[in-house]
Amino acid sequence: MSVAARSFERAAPPVRRRRRLPSLHASRELGASTASVGIVGFVMLVLFGPLILLAVFSFNSSTIISLPFERFTFHWYHAAFTNTGARSSMLNSVVVALIVAAVSLVIGTMSAIGITRTRFRLRGFATALHGATLVIPSLIIGVAAVMFFTLVHVELSLTTLTLMHIVCTFPLVTAIVGAGLVRFERAPEEAAIDLGASQWQMVRHVMLPQIAPSLAAAGLYAFFESFNAFELSFFTSGYQQTFPVWVYALLKHGDNLPMINAAATFIAVVQVLIVIAGWTLMKRLVRRQSAGRNLSDVIMGAARA
Amino acid sequence: MSSVAAAPQGGGRLRASGPRRLLRRPHRRSVLAFGYMAVPLALLLIFFLAPLITLVDRSFRWELISEKTGFTFQNYSHIFSDHTYVHIFLQTVEIAAIAMGVELLIALPLAYVLAYRARRWEIPLLLLLVLADQLNPMVRIYAWRMLLGKEGLINSTLMTLNVIHHPISALLFSRFSVIVVLVTGSMVYTAMPIYASMKAVDRRLFEAARDLGASWPRTMRSVLLPLVAPGIFISIVLVFIPFFTEFATPGLVGGRSGYMIGNTIAELISATGEFGGGTAMSIVLLMGAGVFSLLAFALTRMKNLETAA
Repeated sequence: MSVAARSFERAAPPVRRRRRLPSLHASRELGASTASVGIVGFVMLVLFGPLILLAVFSFNSSTIISLPFERFTFHWYHAAFTNTGARSSMLNSVVVALIVAAVSLVIGTMSAIGITRTRFRLRGFATALHGATLVIPSLIIGVAAVMFFTLVHVELSLTTLTLMHIVCTFPLVTAIVGAGLVRFERAPEEAAIDLGASQWQMVRHVMLPQIAPSLAAAGLYAFFESFNAFELSFFTSGYQQTFPVWVYALLKHGDNLPMINAAATFIAVVQVLIVIAGWTLMKRLVRRQSAGRNLSDVIMGAARA
Repeated sequence: MSSVAAAPQGGGRLRASGPRRLLRRPHRRSVLAFGYMAVPLALLLIFFLAPLITLVDRSFRWELISEKTGFTFQNYSHIFSDHTYVHIFLQTVEIAAIAMGVELLIALPLAYVLAYRARRWEIPLLLLLVLADQLNPMVRIYAWRMLLGKEGLINSTLMTLNVIHHPISALLFSRFSVIVVLVTGSMVYTAMPIYASMKAVDRRLFEAARDLGASWPRTMRSVLLPLVAPGIFISIVLVFIPFFTEFATPGLVGGRSGYMIGNTIAELISATGEFGGGTAMSIVLLMGAGVFSLLAFALTRMKNLETAA
């Protein structure tokens, strides 16, 4: 195609465009913006609206959760914190999630280093096994755990629950930290070893500082993976309850209670605070590194899958 | 330390240490690998693989359902011949399919807006969505139950406003409520892979399509959709399969018409103690999930998936 023909093609449309398009374009743009705001607004409404109402009605003095709003009260919070079931289940959830996050962070980082930095015969098998824990639905892992612990005559308790949580959570850390490790060159690590650093010194001073943001993200996700887990906990907890199991048991055969509103609001607020603290930490870690990666990168990388 | 120190001392020692190091390396490496992998692998083998093998093994045994011992297909033939189970399974497929469809109808435009139109709002919105995804699912289920119930907020508000005179009972303990809660519970999970694959699309393609005279719907259908198809498949695999093992949502807001196969398994295992049917059903679901994801991965080319993920 000749230059003349091309410039003709290019020159021709603006004549029409100048006359017709501006208004059309403007109205179309307006319509598109309205639609965009509409869809985002709708999603935010269905995601957060119910939770906000849940929080609002945790302060309502009426025992029935419905309009009209009677009086403002902290009574249900008092009730939730003095109720043994509510208090112990919330405490169990937090303690278990903290243990699971800490242990998973260590074990998951170990296997991430092992898989990305060493070669061994069963590497493919090990990777597949890690992946399988994330892919196989936790209902099935839970049923399998019940059968297994019955077979080996171990009574179900918070211990078995914590163990199963760790097994299903640390591969998540492996995935996040492994993705972080793959991005870095191995040369500085090899240099450290060649310069006489021990394996631990190399990991501590070369590897970990590089992947600090991934570690923070992994810790955060590991905590929530355990804290939010319901199916696995339902099967493996025995008579001791975590927060989701307590709510399920209460609601399965009972009615809605303002006390549950209070406990749920408390849990949601704590979770929001933890997420914000985690993000702030990650942001700071990312900024401290010279690498030009941004926060969304870390978050997206950690958004599983 | 020694090899560094040895370097200036002359060629003789260097030459000697070279081959020795090469010989020693593989051994050191495997020790290293063992050091890193021993604990993680031991955990996975004992508390993940062994339970799964136990589950498969038990599902083929008489022990769970009678005094007899040994191999049997009885557990499987039992669940496939029971009409109730077949009915619940079909109901589960129906609910999951509708929920997945609604999910995509919302997630596709949402991902589009996030990827192309949100501009400076993109990161704040992403953070909000991820935050929503991290909140306890049980809290969300309870919040919806509070809204949709017979004496719930929606009904009581409508009654107060005199819009209706009798509460709409179909709002809760119905297929509708299960779908609403399933959809809102995995919205972010559905939108993220689609968003990621939309982000990866070269936007000059849209301009090219427009310059060639394609309308916006045509551009979407012929340019964007094929490019984000792998992301959509990932979403479907990630979200659709877990619907089949979900039992918190149908258990708390489902009632009879929203009862799903996950509830059946949970009840067989934890309430009635019918381990035979429960284990067999778990294995069938696991196989089904495997076959489904294989099909989904085969439908879209593996190569596309890798670039999108």
